[in-house]
Amino acid sequence: MSRIRLAPVYAILVVLTLVSVVPFLWMLATSFKHGPDVYTKVPSLLPLDRRTGEWSPTLENYEHVVGIGGLGRAFLNSVWVCLVLVPAKLLVDALAAYAFARIPFPGRDRLFALLLAGMMVPTITLLVPRIHVTQELGMFDSGWGLILPNVASVLDIFLLRQFFLSLPRELEEAALIDGAGRMQIFWRIIVPLSKPVLAVVTITSFIFHWNDLVWPLVVLNDPDLYTLPLALQQLASSESGRAYYIMAGAALAVVPVIIVLMVFQRRIMEGIAFSGLKS
Amino acid sequence: MAVPVAERPTDTPRPGRLLGRPGRWRRDHLVGWLLIAPAMAYFIVFLLYPALAALYYSFTDWDLRTAPNWVGLANYTDLLFDGAKYPHFWQSVRVTLLYTLIAVPLTMGTALCQALLLNAIRRGSGVFRLLLFLPVVTAEAAVGAIWRWLYDPQYGLVNVVLGLAGIPRQNWLNTPGLVIPALAFIAAWQCGISMIIYLAGLKGIPASIREAAIIDGAGPVQRFRRIVVPMLRPTTFYLLVTGVIAALQVFGLVYVIFSGGGGRSVTGGPEQAGLTYVLHLYLFAFRYDAMGAACAMSFILLVFIMIITALEFRLVRQEAS
Repeated sequence: MSRIRLAPVYAILVVLTLVSVVPFLWMLATSFKHGPDVYTKVPSLLPLDRRTGEWSPTLENYEHVVGIGGLGRAFLNSVWVCLVLVPAKLLVDALAAYAFARIPFPGRDRLFALLLAGMMVPTITLLVPRIHVTQELGMFDSGWGLILPNVASVLDIFLLRQFFLSLPRELEEAALIDGAGRMQIFWRIIVPLSKPVLAVVTITSFIFHWNDLVWPLVVLNDPDLYTLPLALQQLASSESGRAYYIMAGAALAVVPVIIVLMVFQRRIMEGIAFSGLKS
Repeated sequence: MAVPVAERPTDTPRPGRLLGRPGRWRRDHLVGWLLIAPAMAYFIVFLLYPALAALYYSFTDWDLRTAPNWVGLANYTDLLFDGAKYPHFWQSVRVTLLYTLIAVPLTMGTALCQALLLNAIRRGSGVFRLLLFLPVVTAEAAVGAIWRWLYDPQYGLVNVVLGLAGIPRQNWLNTPGLVIPALAFIAAWQCGISMIIYLAGLKGIPASIREAAIIDGAGPVQRFRRIVVPMLRPTTFYLLVTGVIAALQVFGLVYVIFSGGGGRSVTGGPEQAGLTYVLHLYLFAFRYDAMGAACAMSFILLVFIMIITALEFRLVRQEAS
């Protein structure tokens, strides 16, 4: 009975899913096409020859954008920034969250309330003076300027603190009585118990910084330092007549994140459901 | 993975139990402060100070090159009332409000629809959910590039698909009246986060309520109106508030869509039809070096967001009572 009733449900879902996925398929198809095969009257979702209709994919577009287009360098820059920034941010946030959740010290709850109040200010308000601060610190247009102004997140501290608060206290108290230090407790007890939430924060923060356009856009001038989204944006405006190059560049930016999403999808979705996290 | 939610805002220290040995108590203060020191330093340097500095700059004529001069409320009054000095301010407000009015309901409606469908099926729901979620994790720069190509007036897939339904070709991103609907459609395409949150809300509706309604003879439409809609009200409210806040600040995508002609030149689209508020703010700050006006704009936006959010809260309280 239910199988017949569910048929229309599946039909609508398939249509909605096609709307969601076809843009990516078209991106990939365009990126593997020879230039002249792109601009045809009837567009094709496969890299086919415009005259014979035969299968004829090419890697030329990728070779062009990775080399001359500068996206190869930008890809490495993005990898490098994420490799430094994501772990550093996780460490800063987790240590602060642990102290806010577990270690009694004067002024703790008032400072935490202040942090939460700071979360209300829209990032765009902070953008202009943040650039100024970055300049004053001598980090404008440098790798450090990409990393340091992003090295903590109040939202992540809040999420981690919520999780740490939910952990049972007995283990920690037993360890304290045995003479363990706070840092030993953090590394030996808190971190192993918190692997799921640490993973969620790590993955979402990787996706966010891999994709971030606005901060690199305002803090960088030197094309050698461009991250992938910024280089892609530049490519899209300078090569705006050559969709096959732009789509090859877009694929370079999109595919790594899609792989991460496929591997960690359950963690990511549960993390969002848990926190209502905005990416 | 189950992530338990802790509802313990303050855990009062219990020195009697935590004292391992003498001196522990004071050493805790030191350790605590040390552990929060990096985060607090970041907070002061990159959040608190910039927020206060932005407020100060908004009362000055700072242009990055010369020292800022105090001009009082001039930036605010000029932006709001001097159409000759800032001719596009109100245009950017109109564009942003129109975008918010179309994009937020469209996004939430699509998300709810997807969540209801996913909730109705068992087999394959994981795959559908993953595929529907793909647009969310896609970089703005890539989204903008992909959709510029999809909306291409001559070769774009959008026109081809609409052509099958007999709808004539449109130059979506170059026709003032079509720019905002085209952008709102992209926003709805990226509704995956709202979809996941709605899905979590639907899973939270106890099966017993649904079964009781079925026994009482309630049809699907009635069940939707009498059970699903009221039970999802908190979720809907949360998505509405966060969605409006995000839509009012739309920037990255518009920047990518309307940058062109090489280098970093940006326009607000045809007849400024895509000049959103934050794009306008960005142009003031990073093209015209008008930092004072840009900071004033950011505080006008902040106040506006606070007013809108307060109104939304009041609306919900009225409905509840």
